[in-house]
Amino acid sequence: MGDFQWARILAYFPDLLRGVGVTLQLGLISASLGLVLGLVLALMKFSKVPVLYWPAYVYIEFFRTTPPLVQIVWLYYGLPLFTGYDLGAFGAAAVALGLNIAAFYAEIYRAGIVGVHRTQWQAARVLGLNLRDTLRYVVLPQAVRNVLPPMGTTTIYLIKDTALASAIGTLELLRIGQLIAVETFRPVETLTIVALLYFVVTYPVALLIGRLEARFKIARVGAA
Amino acid sequence: MNGDALIVVEQLTKRYGTATVLNDVNLKLGPGQVLVVIGPSGSGKSTLLRCLAALEPIQRGTIRIDGTLAAKGDEDSGAGPDRASLKTLREKVGMVFQQFNLFPHLTVLENITLAPRRVLGMAPAEAESLALDLLRRVGLEDKRDVHPERLSGGQQQRAAIARALAMHPRVMLFDEVTSALDPELVGEVLRTMRELAEQGMTMLVVTHEMAFARDVADDVVFMDNGQIIERSPPAQIFAQPKEPRTRAFLERLLEREGRRDG
Repeated sequence: MGDFQWARILAYFPDLLRGVGVTLQLGLISASLGLVLGLVLALMKFSKVPVLYWPAYVYIEFFRTTPPLVQIVWLYYGLPLFTGYDLGAFGAAAVALGLNIAAFYAEIYRAGIVGVHRTQWQAARVLGLNLRDTLRYVVLPQAVRNVLPPMGTTTIYLIKDTALASAIGTLELLRIGQLIAVETFRPVETLTIVALLYFVVTYPVALLIGRLEARFKIARVGAA
Repeated sequence: MNGDALIVVEQLTKRYGTATVLNDVNLKLGPGQVLVVIGPSGSGKSTLLRCLAALEPIQRGTIRIDGTLAAKGDEDSGAGPDRASLKTLREKVGMVFQQFNLFPHLTVLENITLAPRRVLGMAPAEAESLALDLLRRVGLEDKRDVHPERLSGGQQQRAAIARALAMHPRVMLFDEVTSALDPELVGEVLRTMRELAEQGMTMLVVTHEMAFARDVADDVVFMDNGQIIERSPPAQIFAQPKEPRTRAFLERLLEREGRRDG
């Protein structure tokens, strides 16, 4: 096939693998942050108390509707300017991506909780369970099943969005790919290999979600 | 009189928007009594039960169960039930729903032990032995580790009854609990309820099962348009209803059952 020079790129494979490691860390940290913060936001948005509802509403709409790239830049350049606190490139990217994805996770949690039939809430209430126990033992375990597919898709988006960290110089997979491409003048081969490596990172997430779905598969009893 | 009654409903009015669903309902029920509520759909019988379980706010009147304030009209003066009295109420009142409402992600045993453990603070072993006793009572001892989806409707409903009983309620409310069941499964649930009545449980039962009403009820209440039209012992209400509306309802019902049998 003519002019492709794969071998030259493969010589950089150890560098690319280091990039995979950084990408994985970015994904893991931001997903963890997003999953926890997203649940808190979702629960706040169910509240009838204005000081809980409105901050969650504004947060979610703000982070959903502005580009994550801009959020990363704000946190990296803006935060030190205004607070004197510097997270560094990796830290700023991880936190910004986590804050961003929390907004999306929150809406997914919310849909999952709404999807649990109201008769389940009533059954819990009649038994005397308080709100916390109702959420913990009755509603959230059922909501998990509802949210797994969209959670999986969103998490895959997140892992690919970690590439945005390259814009502030984080040496993650895409950034390293770009550097190799510049050095070798072979952008097509380099970025093709980079894409394959993204697949290697994201596909297990898809598999994991599929397995979790099977495990949490339960009949929608009483949801008639 | 109020001193003996377990359930005391006084001048209860319940509206949804402008539609009055319960209109000045008064009701008393003594301990160990079984009251069956009949009436056409939309007559307010299920809403009455939901108000007794404090699942619905009410506009006027009061509901007391075993001396505990369950609800107070929000248009009346005076405070409604506080958090503590609602908690007491939940422990005194058990409710079984038309659609069972078991928790689908939990086993039968976990469905039953959840509330005793979390609400009453019972130790796991104690809750389990209580649950097993109850499962034996409703004939489901071999289903303890099964999820609800694997049970027939009748079995699910019996498990739901066991779940409610696990809280040792003083009063059990049954909201059309056989209406969602296939005809051949109705009998097993009614049998369980019959046994419960024989053991002295105070029960308020909304149902269309007239044979159950005839055999088990101490009194039958006929409701129409959000009002109690008539309350009589079953022998009387089925043989000689006092009110023309009761008679018309029962005639329609018997006619339908006659057609079904013929």
